[in-house]
Amino acid sequence: MDKAEIRKRLNDIQSLPTLPPIVSKLNEMVADEEITAVKLGKVIEKDQVLTSKLLKMVNSSFFGFPQRISTVSNAIVLLGFNVIKTLIVTSSIFEVMQASDVGLFEHSLGCATACGIIAKLRQIKNPEEVSTAGLIHDLGKIVIRSELPDEYEAIVEEAEEKGLYMRQVEKERIGFGHGEIGGILARQWNLPERLVFPIEYHHKPEQAPDFKEIAAIVHFSDILIRALGFGSGGDPWVPALDHAAWERIKLTKSQMKEVIAELDEKLMELQDFTLEIKLDG
Amino acid sequence: MQRIPIKLAKADMVLAKDAVTPEGQILCGAGTKLSEELIVRLRHQGVLVLSVQGHPVRMPGEKSLAERLKELDNRFSKVSSDPVLRALKHLIGEYWVVEEKGAEFLEKLKKEAK
Repeated sequence: MDKAEIRKRLNDIQSLPTLPPIVSKLNEMVADEEITAVKLGKVIEKDQVLTSKLLKMVNSSFFGFPQRISTVSNAIVLLGFNVIKTLIVTSSIFEVMQASDVGLFEHSLGCATACGIIAKLRQIKNPEEVSTAGLIHDLGKIVIRSELPDEYEAIVEEAEEKGLYMRQVEKERIGFGHGEIGGILARQWNLPERLVFPIEYHHKPEQAPDFKEIAAIVHFSDILIRALGFGSGGDPWVPALDHAAWERIKLTKSQMKEVIAELDEKLMELQDFTLEIKLDG
Repeated sequence: MQRIPIKLAKADMVLAKDAVTPEGQILCGAGTKLSEELIVRLRHQGVLVLSVQGHPVRMPGEKSLAERLKELDNRFSKVSSDPVLRALKHLIGEYWVVEEKGAEFLEKLKKEAK
């Protein structure tokens, strides 16, 4: 399959599968009249595909917002609860009940958590946005998996056999790394650049045309979450660190210790959450 | 610290964090030593999980500290020449050792290594 054909396949993507258990949980929450915007926003942001879809929808021209909306809670506040409710329910109707990748789901949740912790430590104005970027940073992998399932399987196998990173094999076999694919798609969906660039450049954050700091945080959070062995990003290895990006967001040894402790604690809570949705499903 | 389902809680375990109901209500504070009666009362209040000190319960399928440290090493095998990542690996390993065995144990290990 050549690059042009891959690009065409990406253009034709209508919808992506999302993790079925979270959808049923959301439906349940949405049915509850008492549910708050903040609570719902938090649960939605734990699901990367649904988050992308929701952001895609709220950024679509038919809402006519002058500025881009880049977080779910923002979307809920700006658009009102009923609209979001409707978007979620309709999106779940379109969900094809495909086999889910819990490992990648956990990896994404973990990365988002790490992003939030580091963004707050660095006093970034809207840390939820950085978390959101972390949540969908591996969008490209989900796309490859759902649109090119045979290729995805071959990529995972080859990466494991030859001891290579997924993105090396992706480049070789389909001409794009998952970062680029995620970027292409995120752009097609009109996601704001502060989310597009960190997705696209999470393995080479210094090459991002803008929002290098967010890209650097996502880059390092990806490393950190793999280092801790939480979830699975396809191959088992800690990615190489971009040292220029590290200089940008450098943590001292004691800050690093704090981040590890806080993250570890939050990951335990996340595990309760993923266990809960597994049991619900 | 370990998070355990309340049905695995035993008397004499010490809470590492407040015991809270799923609704977020705090029932008793970190540092409290559990008794059989207290565990029953917490269960009746709807508490599902507790954070306790140390690592008293071996969950099914759970890896030992030694296994986890070995896997940590493997995950870093492609970046072992990077000084920043090497430092990160050490910090994570030390954190796990302290979480499970306590700070004194880590000091002892460090002395032995010297």
